[in-house]
Amino acid sequence: MTDGRNDTMRVARGPRAKRTVALTGADAFLGRNLIGLLEDDDRVGRIVAFDVKNPPSAGRKTRFYKVDLTQPSVDARIAEVLAAEDVDTFLHLAFLSSPTHASAWAHELESVGTMHVLNACRERPVRKFVMWSQTILYGASPSNPNFLSESHPLKGQTESRFLNDKIEAEQVVARFARQMPGTVVTVLRVAPILGPTVDNYLTHYLGRRFVPTLMGFDPLMQFTHEVDALAAFKLAVMRDAPGVFNIASEGVLPLSTVIKLAGRMTLPVAHPLAYPLARALWAAQLSEAPWMFLDYLRWVCVADTELAQRELKWRPAFTTREAVLDHGGAQSLRDAHLMRASSHL
Amino acid sequence: MARRVLGDDPFANTTPEGASAPEEKAKTDAPKKRSIPPKARKSVPPKAPRKSKAPPPPADEPVARVAPPPAPLPVIEVPSPSDVPSPVEEAVEESVGAADLPPETPAPEDRPALTDAPRAADGEESLEDTIRALEARLDKLLEGSREQAQPILDRVSDKLRAVASAPAARGDGAGDARDEAAPYDVAKDLFASQYYLRQWGRVAMRDRSEEVDEFGFDPSYDARWRPVFDFLYERWWRVDVEGIENVPAEGRVALVANHSGAVPYDGIMLAAAMRREHPAARPLRWLAEDFVSHLPFMGAYLTRLGAVRACQENAERLLRKESCVAMFPEGVKGISKLFRDRYKLQRFGRGGHIKLAIRTRTPLVPVAIVGAEETHPLIAPSGVVARMLGVPYVPITPTFPLLGAAGLVPLPSKWRIVFGEPMPMDAYGPDAADDEVLVGRLNEKLRGTIQDTLDRALRQRRSVFSG
Repeated sequence: MTDGRNDTMRVARGPRAKRTVALTGADAFLGRNLIGLLEDDDRVGRIVAFDVKNPPSAGRKTRFYKVDLTQPSVDARIAEVLAAEDVDTFLHLAFLSSPTHASAWAHELESVGTMHVLNACRERPVRKFVMWSQTILYGASPSNPNFLSESHPLKGQTESRFLNDKIEAEQVVARFARQMPGTVVTVLRVAPILGPTVDNYLTHYLGRRFVPTLMGFDPLMQFTHEVDALAAFKLAVMRDAPGVFNIASEGVLPLSTVIKLAGRMTLPVAHPLAYPLARALWAAQLSEAPWMFLDYLRWVCVADTELAQRELKWRPAFTTREAVLDHGGAQSLRDAHLMRASSHL
Repeated sequence: MARRVLGDDPFANTTPEGASAPEEKAKTDAPKKRSIPPKARKSVPPKAPRKSKAPPPPADEPVARVAPPPAPLPVIEVPSPSDVPSPVEEAVEESVGAADLPPETPAPEDRPALTDAPRAADGEESLEDTIRALEARLDKLLEGSREQAQPILDRVSDKLRAVASAPAARGDGAGDARDEAAPYDVAKDLFASQYYLRQWGRVAMRDRSEEVDEFGFDPSYDARWRPVFDFLYERWWRVDVEGIENVPAEGRVALVANHSGAVPYDGIMLAAAMRREHPAARPLRWLAEDFVSHLPFMGAYLTRLGAVRACQENAERLLRKESCVAMFPEGVKGISKLFRDRYKLQRFGRGGHIKLAIRTRTPLVPVAIVGAEETHPLIAPSGVVARMLGVPYVPITPTFPLLGAAGLVPLPSKWRIVFGEPMPMDAYGPDAADDEVLVGRLNEKLRGTIQDTLDRALRQRRSVFSG
């Protein structure tokens, strides 16, 4: 994907350019696969993986450091490792891909954990800092335009810890970017990731035999094929593009079509009933996503990826439809027990 | 990179496992074929061990030609893949399966055949030689295997004789088994939820495209509803169009129209007029006010038909793609006004459409729609009820709550759509969009033009229903 531009990059950085990339959340979906990609890339000399568990994709170049971002003194430890390994690029991927009922722990990990990571990067500055964020932070709202640009405020939902922790993390990263002009800070807001191997609340939602929807609402949905998401992160590592970028595969699909293409049936629920029901299910810890997520089944929350295509020179290789079809193909194998459900992240 | 992505993931690890699973299943199935209905066995893909051991197609031909089935009995033909189950064949299969016909028989002939094939392409002589060599080897192999298979063949022929001695009883029994199996399979299909899922998916997607454009316009859905709107256009409202040539055939353009009728049919009819009457048959996207595009069902349907939620960003995106966009600056005030206020243009928003037109240098075409006010005459304000339902208004018409759903049939008024001269916006610089005074003045000018056109058309109209 980046082959055509490799040479110019190398000339710009000089011949010594063997990067040392550190990443948090190394054992989650993005981390694991990015380690795989970076292992293959000659321009990366060493990979420093932070997580509580050794990622299975770790190869020759990878050095694993057991680090728990919810621990209080973790920033000193990370700074120590950054200095020892001479890290120049930091990928902060330690965010939850699915909502959890353990919201206190999630807060420590996402909001406070980001603070620790940034403190470490202040103590021992890195050349580049890349952060994973999500387009769902814009929040689904009736006043959204059909395509949200990066300058649209992150409204999220006031009651959702899952979204608010991430919004807080983005805010502290934005402050970090202002304070540290020497560091290239790239934030990738990725639309919900879908694909054959990824495993998150969205794949579980689309994996249900009857997929609940809100009666009479059929919002346009946008997903990121897992390969597109990984390509964007790889590109952000290789190319200096400071700023915030929306990342999503091409095109949109109505929710009903998404469910049909995934080979499932819709289960329409009237929205005055659905909200209290979802609230009760979430309170009883029986549902996987909080009730606020019903908004995404009602209003549109689609991001405009034009800036990423222009500045980051990233191009989506897949469409939303292909992402859904890829997910559906893998899901039918899982249905027939011919493929193992991928492990929980 | 895709390789790596997949290679690092559990998916990759599970694939071989998944691939081998059906084969194993087929193997375990093989000995107890009896218990499986013949149809079910057929549905197992050609992974059944018996079939996979058959020589591959390239090697198949010479075998058939040079070494005709030696056939001490017709039995030899049986191992060739054949899906028609017969008592004879089944008997053979059973014994062969039990004795496990030497697998090494076809295996060695596979490899030479494959490796020889490229060499054979060198010349005709070498090809002939190769074939001869192959044939000779095959003959040898066949002879060897016949010797090995002799005891099996003997047993099979014994069984065959037994079968032949009681043909009627055996045949009937097998026939019954088959007849029973077929309905059983059908029943299994019918009880599988997968079946209904497939059918439901087909029905639900029948009138929907698999892909929509970026604002959700669904061509198949539009095509399916087109006859209905054509009927409304031609027969119900008998729409007359005037001055449609004022809409340029290409490039961005915005149609600014009055908004009327409690149910906003005017956008759909304007789109139908552009499609049917305009020389370039330009597709039209119309901007629907928030309340309509967020109404359950209505919003989803209108989106599929080409409506776009009215907001600056959406309109700008459409215009930058050089499309033809219809706007109703009156918004909800236009469609919720009472019948006695018909054809009195309401305030034209805050001039957002003018600012947008200046910014994007889009010509504005004033459009007057006459007749839509009479489709659903609102006779009473609906403040309290509407507030309870959380909508701006509830259409209380002479027919609606009174006649129930039948009251929602629009009245067959005669429509007339008049397109005015386009207002070019090229003369103003990009800063002019911030000039509130200029924007206000242009807005009033546009509103005056549309009001004048409406008044003129109304004066010419003699009857509401016949025009």
